[in-house]
Amino acid sequence: MLKKFALLSVALGLGLMVACSWVSPKGSFAPTHPQALENGRPTCSDCHGTDRVTGSDKTFASFNHTEAFVANHKFAANQDPATCAACHAQSFCADCHGGKTALLPSVKLGNRPDRVSPHRTGYLTLHRIDGKIDPTGCFECHGRANNEKCTACHK
Amino acid sequence: MKHRIRLALLATLVTGTAVAQDVTFSSNSFVQAWSPKTPGFSQNTAFPVTEYVGVDVAKLDGKDALSLHVYGWGMADLGEQTYIGGKNTGDLTYGYVQYDFKQANAQVRAGRFTVNQGLGPAPLDGFEARTDLVHGFMVSAFAGTPVVFKNYSSNDQNQVGYQQDFMFGGRLGWRAAKVGELGVSFLQDGLHPAQSLAVPAPVDYTRKQIAGDLKLVPVSFLDVTGRTVLDVSQNQIVAPNTSPSRIAEHDYKATAKLNEALALTATYVERNFFAYYAGTTLPNLFKQNEQGLFKATGASLVWTAVPGLQLVGDVRRTDRASYGTSTRAGVDGRYNLTDKHVLVGAGYHRINAGAAQSVNPLFPSYSLSHSEMRAWVMADRGPYTGSLDVIRLQYTDADNNPNLNGQSSETAVVASLGYKAKENLRVSGDLSAESNALYKNQVMALLRVQYQFGLAVKGGK
Repeated sequence: MLKKFALLSVALGLGLMVACSWVSPKGSFAPTHPQALENGRPTCSDCHGTDRVTGSDKTFASFNHTEAFVANHKFAANQDPATCAACHAQSFCADCHGGKTALLPSVKLGNRPDRVSPHRTGYLTLHRIDGKIDPTGCFECHGRANNEKCTACHK
Repeated sequence: MKHRIRLALLATLVTGTAVAQDVTFSSNSFVQAWSPKTPGFSQNTAFPVTEYVGVDVAKLDGKDALSLHVYGWGMADLGEQTYIGGKNTGDLTYGYVQYDFKQANAQVRAGRFTVNQGLGPAPLDGFEARTDLVHGFMVSAFAGTPVVFKNYSSNDQNQVGYQQDFMFGGRLGWRAAKVGELGVSFLQDGLHPAQSLAVPAPVDYTRKQIAGDLKLVPVSFLDVTGRTVLDVSQNQIVAPNTSPSRIAEHDYKATAKLNEALALTATYVERNFFAYYAGTTLPNLFKQNEQGLFKATGASLVWTAVPGLQLVGDVRRTDRASYGTSTRAGVDGRYNLTDKHVLVGAGYHRINAGAAQSVNPLFPSYSLSHSEMRAWVMADRGPYTGSLDVIRLQYTDADNNPNLNGQSSETAVVASLGYKAKENLRVSGDLSAESNALYKNQVMALLRVQYQFGLAVKGGK
C-alpha cells in the first residue's frame, strides 16, 4: 500500500513538474487599463498605433470598438476574456447576457441609447418579422436560457 | 443552485469583505409603472420594483490575485404580475472566486459563472482554469453543473434537469505574432441523452459540440475572425429518410482598414437548424425537425470622417429556405462632441424581405418588408444628464400582416433625465411612450437609483 502511494506521489510530482515546465514564463496581461478612457467606444489604435497587445500578440487595432467589433464581440470574449476584463467588469456583460433577468436590457439601459440593445421599445411587434427572417439570431440568447417570457406565447 | 453552494458563497463574501483591501458594492434599483393595454390581457397597473446588486472584492490575499465577484437581482410586483416566474422572484446571475496568476495569464475560478464556448453563453456552477503554455499554446478547461432555467412550456421540466446534469469542456489554442490565434474547443452539456435512457424521452436536451475558431491579424490593417461549430452528438433524433448537416454554424468576418478613416468589413454566416438548435429547451419554437438552412452575407463600410464622427453604411442579405431572401441596407452615424459633452446618433435601414404565408385564404401571404429609423442624443452638464431616443418603424404590408392589426407604423420615444447627487449616487427617471400594434399608446415611467461605493475602476462606460 505504502509502495503504491509512494509510486503515485512520485508520478504525480513528476507530472506536475513536466506540466509546470510547459507553462509560459511570460507575464500576464494587465488586469486593468492604466488610464481612464473617455466616454464612447474606444479606438485602441488611436493611442497604441500598430502595436500588438502584450500577452495576446494581436494588434490593438483589432480591438477597436467599431460597429463590426461590437456586433461580433463574442469572438473576443471567447479568445481574449482578459483583454475585455481590463476595462469591463463582469456586470457589464450581465447587463445583456444574464441567463435569467427581470428587465430587458433596453429598459435597464433606457438612459443609455449609445449602448447596443436588440430589444428597444417597439420590438415586440418587430420580433414577429425578425423571427421569420432570422430565428437563429434569437436562439443565441433564448435557445437554452432566458426564455420564460417566450413561453408566454410560444408554448 | 444548491443550498450549500449559496452558503459557501455567503460565507466567502462575509469573511472576504472583512479581510479584503478593495471592496466595490453596486446597487441599481428600478421602479416602473405602466398600464398594459394588450387586448385580452389584464388592464391593471403594473408596478414592479427590481433591485440589482453586485459586490466585487479584490485583494482577498492582500495582493492583486484573489478576488470574489457576486451579482444578482430580485424583484417584487407591487401591482399586476409582470414576470412569468411569479410576483416575487430573483436570481443569482454569477458568484465566483477567482485567482489570477502573475504569470502566463493563468486563472482559476470556482462558483457560478458563464462560459463562452459552444453556441451562446452558458451559465455553470463549477470551476474553470486556463493558462498560457510555451511556444504560444494555451489551454483551458471547465466542468460543473449547468444552470437549468425553468421552461414553463414543457411538461417534463424534470427531464431537462435530469438530462442536463453535467457540463464540461475545454479549449486548446495557439497564437503567434503576425499570425493571430487558432483554437479548437469541445463542449458537452448533459450526460443522459434522451435516446440513451431506459425509456427514451421524446426530446433531447443535451448537446455535444466541437468548434474551431480563428483570428488572423497578419498585419495591422487586416483582421479575419470566425468560427465553425459542429454538432457531434450521436443521440440527436433524426427524422426518417433524412441526413441533416452536422455543421451547426459557420460565422466569419474579415475587416480591412483601408486607411486611417476607412474600414471595410465582410461577413458570412451559415446555420443549419438541425445541428444549430440541438439541445434547445424551447423545441416548439426552435424546431430541429424543420431542417432549414440559414445563410447571410454582409458588408459594412466604416468612415471616420473627422475625429468623433463615425458613419457606417451596411448591407446584409439573408436566405432562409422557408421565407426566401431578404436584404437589409442602410446607414448609421454617431458623433461624439467630447468638449460639449454631447453624443448623438442616427440611423436608417430598409429591409426588403420575402413573403410569409398566412392562414387567411383571402390574404394567403404578406410581405415582411419594413423600414427602421432611429435618432438619439445624450448630453451632460455638470451633475445633470439627459437623453432622448426616438424610434420609428414603417411597415409595408400592414393590411395583410395579421400581426400588425392594420397599423402601418410605430413610434417610440424614450426620454431620460438624471442627476448625479454625489460621485457614487445617481438618480434618473425615464419616460417612454409608444404606439404599436399591440399596446396602442402605452406610457411607461421608470425611476432608477444607482449607488456604488469602493475603488471601482471597471464597469464599462
